[in-house]
Amino acid sequence: MNVVNTSIDSIDRRLGKHKSAARVGIGGPVGSGKTALIEALLPRLHARGLEVTVVTNDLVTKEDALRLQRSGLIDPERVMAVEAGACPHTVIREDPSLNIAAADTLAARFPNADLIFIESGGDNLASTFSLDLVDYWLFVIDTGGGDDIPRKKGPGILRCDVLIINKIDVGPVVGVDVEKMSKEALEIRGGRPVMLTDARRGFGIEALIDRLEHDVLFADA
Amino acid sequence: MVRMFESVLGNVIDERFSGKLHDLDHADRVEYLTIKPDEVARRRLRMKTDKGTECAIALSRNQQLTDGAVLYCDRDLAVVVRLSERRWLSLIPSNKATAIELGYFCGNLHWKVRFDSDLIHIAVEGPVQTYLDRLALMIGDGKVRLVSDGK
Repeated sequence: MNVVNTSIDSIDRRLGKHKSAARVGIGGPVGSGKTALIEALLPRLHARGLEVTVVTNDLVTKEDALRLQRSGLIDPERVMAVEAGACPHTVIREDPSLNIAAADTLAARFPNADLIFIESGGDNLASTFSLDLVDYWLFVIDTGGGDDIPRKKGPGILRCDVLIINKIDVGPVVGVDVEKMSKEALEIRGGRPVMLTDARRGFGIEALIDRLEHDVLFADA
Repeated sequence: MVRMFESVLGNVIDERFSGKLHDLDHADRVEYLTIKPDEVARRRLRMKTDKGTECAIALSRNQQLTDGAVLYCDRDLAVVVRLSERRWLSLIPSNKATAIELGYFCGNLHWKVRFDSDLIHIAVEGPVQTYLDRLALMIGDGKVRLVSDGK
């Protein structure tokens, strides 16, 4: 009888270094701050000793990949672009093979990576990730889009593992009660996680990393 | 304490496990992780067994959880995956035209469906009311009849 559990040592486990990198999707409407969120996450993940690679999805360009590659926040070799050529949600849900191939390539090139982010700007609130592609996924909306976005109950809002309400600094400027928006989102999601961020100023980012460490990197396991 | 599992050892139907699991089950030493069908494709997840043991699963990309997957098995304990039953809404369209409309509608909303003679079954992923709200007009107009809400 085989008795198998795990052979990783405690230090690697603390750092989330398991046999394969966790694949985390970051979806949400165009302009909600997905790339800004990654830019805010990168230095803080690095500070915690976590290695990251990123797959970006754009319609017909490599805009988001180029932005990250030029940011100085990550080795440009660790960023790969997928050009969807069609509605972006189709390549993260119906046929995610291009993204799976990109993530596999990064995993092979960087075997010590702890996290592979797969960023995709779905063109509406219906965008969801295939669980063949990711282990866990975030859906990013922003207060600038209006406080009614959670009430629209799109599959992205309902099914993601964590709903991120970004640009909370913008809320008061556009007449959005952020606290009310957050409360409504929590109710609509049946109590599943909703987090507030201001990616530009770094608000909420450490808390998000704490959640990723707990939920998919198993830092305490 | 969190138990970490990084591979699927086999399945309860495998000969090498069946005897051992039988004995452990009699001693109430098999713990079950019940996973929803729409979550089973995950390679990483964290959840508690029926006996409250916290588990973290991190499988390689070439492995997958299935009903009966054995994650741990020794002389004192086994941890086994169980899939919860999927809930299906069952509907009958009143005629061919409505059947086409309903099929298009389900596809447009990316719902998972299966067909059984003149019935269409819609897999419920999330709150059932979400589905009933979307179908309310067709049901209200009598175009489609709800045969079962899967309870």
